[in-house]
Amino acid sequence: MGSTEHGRVSVREFQANGSRMAASEVEAKLDQGNIQEAEDSLREGLSLNFEEARALLGKLEYQRGNVEGALRVFDGIDLQAAIQRLQSSFSEKPPGKKGRAHTESASGSQHAASLVLEAIYLKAKSLQKLEKFTEAANNCKRILDSVEKIFYQGIPNIQVDNKLQEIVSHAVELLPELWKQAGCYDEAISAYRRALFSQWNLDNDYCARIQKSFVMFLLYSGVEASPPSLAVQIEGSYVPKNNLEEAILLLMVLLRKFSLGKMKWDPSVMEHLTFALSICSQTSTLAKQIEELMPGVYHRIDCWNSLAFCYSGAGQNDCALSLLRKSLHKHERPNDITSLVLAARICSSDPHLAAEGVIYAQRAVNNARDQNEHLKGVALRMLGLCLGKQSKVASSDSERSRLHSKALESLVAAIKLEPNNSDLIFELAVHYAQHRNLSAALRSARHFFNQTGGSMLKSWRLLALILSAQQRFSEAEVVTDAALDQTARWEQGPLLRLKAKLKISQSRPMDAIETYRYLLALVQAQNKSFGSSQISSKVLDDKINEFDIWHGLANLYASLSRWKDAEICLQKARELKKYSAAVMHTQGVLFEGRGQNDEAFLATINGLLLEANHVPCKILMGGMIQRLGPKFFCAARSALSDALRIEPTNRMAWHCLGLLNKQDGRISEAADCFQAASMLEESDPIESFSSIL
Amino acid sequence: MLLTYFVAKHKILFWLLPLRFSISHNNSSLNTKLRNPLSITPHTMSGDEASTPSATPKPSATAADSPLKLKTAVEALSSIVPSLSRLTPASLPTSPDLYPQISALLRQPNSGAGDNNLCRWLYDTFQSGVGDLQLLVLRFIPIIAGVYLSRVADRKPQAGFEAVLLAVYAHETTSRAGKPVSITIPDLTQPSVYHEGSVKTSGKGTSTPNSAATEPETAVVSPALEPHGTVRSTRRARIVSVALELFYAKIGQMPVSSKIDFCEFCKMWAGQDGEMYKKFEEGGEKTEEEEEEEGKKEEEAVGSDVAVEKRVKVEGRVPLCWELLQPVMRILGHCLLGPNNNKEVELFEKANEACRSLFSRSMHDVNPKAILPMRSLMRLSKTVMPNNDNLDPTELPFSDVISL
Repeated sequence: MGSTEHGRVSVREFQANGSRMAASEVEAKLDQGNIQEAEDSLREGLSLNFEEARALLGKLEYQRGNVEGALRVFDGIDLQAAIQRLQSSFSEKPPGKKGRAHTESASGSQHAASLVLEAIYLKAKSLQKLEKFTEAANNCKRILDSVEKIFYQGIPNIQVDNKLQEIVSHAVELLPELWKQAGCYDEAISAYRRALFSQWNLDNDYCARIQKSFVMFLLYSGVEASPPSLAVQIEGSYVPKNNLEEAILLLMVLLRKFSLGKMKWDPSVMEHLTFALSICSQTSTLAKQIEELMPGVYHRIDCWNSLAFCYSGAGQNDCALSLLRKSLHKHERPNDITSLVLAARICSSDPHLAAEGVIYAQRAVNNARDQNEHLKGVALRMLGLCLGKQSKVASSDSERSRLHSKALESLVAAIKLEPNNSDLIFELAVHYAQHRNLSAALRSARHFFNQTGGSMLKSWRLLALILSAQQRFSEAEVVTDAALDQTARWEQGPLLRLKAKLKISQSRPMDAIETYRYLLALVQAQNKSFGSSQISSKVLDDKINEFDIWHGLANLYASLSRWKDAEICLQKARELKKYSAAVMHTQGVLFEGRGQNDEAFLATINGLLLEANHVPCKILMGGMIQRLGPKFFCAARSALSDALRIEPTNRMAWHCLGLLNKQDGRISEAADCFQAASMLEESDPIESFSSIL
Repeated sequence: MLLTYFVAKHKILFWLLPLRFSISHNNSSLNTKLRNPLSITPHTMSGDEASTPSATPKPSATAADSPLKLKTAVEALSSIVPSLSRLTPASLPTSPDLYPQISALLRQPNSGAGDNNLCRWLYDTFQSGVGDLQLLVLRFIPIIAGVYLSRVADRKPQAGFEAVLLAVYAHETTSRAGKPVSITIPDLTQPSVYHEGSVKTSGKGTSTPNSAATEPETAVVSPALEPHGTVRSTRRARIVSVALELFYAKIGQMPVSSKIDFCEFCKMWAGQDGEMYKKFEEGGEKTEEEEEEEGKKEEEAVGSDVAVEKRVKVEGRVPLCWELLQPVMRILGHCLLGPNNNKEVELFEKANEACRSLFSRSMHDVNPKAILPMRSLMRLSKTVMPNNDNLDPTELPFSDVISL
């Protein structure tokens, strides 16, 4: 012991049997290694028996930090014999007998018990400090074994004195820790279970600490615990089957204890639960747990934000957005960049929210400073995406092109900050493609493809679409075939549809029909096995609609003037989706092809009633009105320009408008329209670029 | 040029071909060694994709032939790596030279090629079906996955790595038998071993009044596996992630150096510097000293190797889809918060760095599903920092009056 300690040591004293004794003298003897002498002077001074004196000495040595000394002292006591004596003394007096004498003698033997058990406990602690973990654990286990033998019906609440209870509780908590430190993980698990399932009369703090420690073990040890044994299971109760389930259950139990006021708030419980539930994609369950928390645990803004992340993670973006609106309110935390970016991201998926998203994204750009400077690229990217989406619902052409160029500007600025962000590269490629800058689009798409190593289905599809827009159909088909080769069967739907359309573009309708047929078989097989939930959700996202296939086939047969086949396919499509503008449009084409103009007209009107902005219906209608005669040119023009307002890159609309102008005698305007149509034809993809976003 | 690239197809190696036929033979030995931690809730299955090789499983490597296989493995290895020729079958699993030497070789520029002998050895060793040997191969999964994914963009031939990964994937496919790994989300209204049910239905309450009312929610941790004979590019992440899942399942038996390598690859995959989150949620101002230090770092970074190193790191950025992130986060959780981690200072540090980088990446991807758990891991790692002296609750109270 260093001399610095002596200042404090002089204060220490022993106390027993009503008398006191300064510890300094005994300490001096111990320092000289005379355990026997120290023991003698204690026994004389405080009239103690041998075991009591040793126990006190051990405690002194332990408190002084001299664990080796403590062990030497404890080794002098025959703890095994003491335990046996205890057990026999307890079993002589079976519990439940009445009478004062009994309780008194019971408290006497309890005193002796706590003396011995404390000695063993300190021995275990000393061994732990010397890193002899297995030995320590075995000693600690002896305490629990003997307590279990003494109180074989569980520890009764009233009959046990505080000291004994405290030591038992400590030992219960220490044992699993020791096994863990010894690296004996299986023993640790059974020690945890023993601690939590047996009746130790633990108070809430101990119990919560042990449960939390077990949770950490279950979640992070990487050792799989076998499910709890059948012995502890009650009929009809929930039995966790693996680590994750058991950890989540314990964490929920801990949260409930807190809300019942049985436990102090421990923020780490929520963090463990967040981790555990996120790992299995159950952020919606996590949201429920956060909502059930007592108000005041988290700051309301933190709470809203966490909930928003949970809901967004679970795909409930509406919910997430309304929470973020609250937390981004000007009186709350309007400049929190994480929430701003998430809000902008959610808004970027809906043209009608895009304008709101632009505000969030712009605010995020402005606030990307200091520690958050690295997020500037992200903020700019979100700004670009929102602007791009907003341009879709722009009310005028000039507004549209203004938004578009601003969107491009933001995306380009973003990519300067994040040149390696593959998602951004993809978005830029789609953006270029949508505005028919095909060479830039192809460059970006190839960059994206190389960066992701072809691991994304959308990288293949984008490449094929851009190539098809450049009218390089055979190359697009090579890409599609290579992509088919690189995808598992369940995910081939969109690629096969693409392939069918490529065949049509190359005027090989019979091949296209064959491809459609194959696609149909695939989708039907898929539908059959969906009930069994064995297909990942990723596949579900990529799942192609059976309706689309029948509709595509109907269009194909219609273009071949095989009206009967077309009608059959259309009927199939109608069975799957009763009210669809697309079906009405094809129906219109069928009627028109067979010369049933009135019916065709009605079909298109019905289509427009179902979906007011359905462009193909408008174009078809425009064409039909035009044929009614010059009196109706005005109405036809209105239908066609309406179609062009919604979809300015629709070449069919330009073509029809050209025809109209020609008939109307406006030759130069007609020429302009035809030119636009032909230019667009040179850059028309076989499927809309926005279909892959 | 684009055309020629696409036309070129995967060449399947001759030694990969028996894979489909041999996977059913070695399914159980690793599992009998340790209970399979990804315990599985059975789901009804149908459809042809799920029909994993169902040939009658041969008894796995018996105790009798495993010494022979060990001997063969050692001999084969010493012919590939002469410096390891002193190994004996007994010292193979515990040799300290083994990991650094093999991992150095695996990092070499052409290490993953189809004709690479070391990859062939790893493949054969894993296919041997001997539990100890399979564990030995699993040690190298982080480094194989790490090098492999980072090289994908370079379009180097990596059939050797792919063969090893596919062997591990096939092993898991067989042992999971076409079922997804899923868990049931506990519902506190139902009593459990740890608590009593809360909502008591009045009247004659039978034992399970609640279970009928609400169907327990199931969460799929890892979807069912389809058998794959080659690495299709869109399935690459899945195959790697399943290999990592198996690595995690046996992580208790993995050496620290392999975990440290894993953390370093995480940083590389993230491709994002996470240092700004070092003071995550502390709210304190930077001390002058730290600012000075940072200034110095920046100065250094301008010209020297640091800048080069940074660029190299960025090159390793890979698409981190959820299926890949899932096992990554579980492994990181173990590295940060596993038992007895306080002894592994280096691992803890590296895991922390990886965690910061991945958090930063998830912020850049605006991926709420990843932000939540990564943020929690970062907060939790603060609570177990080695210098964070928590009171030991198992310590008895000290007092100056020592009494009975």
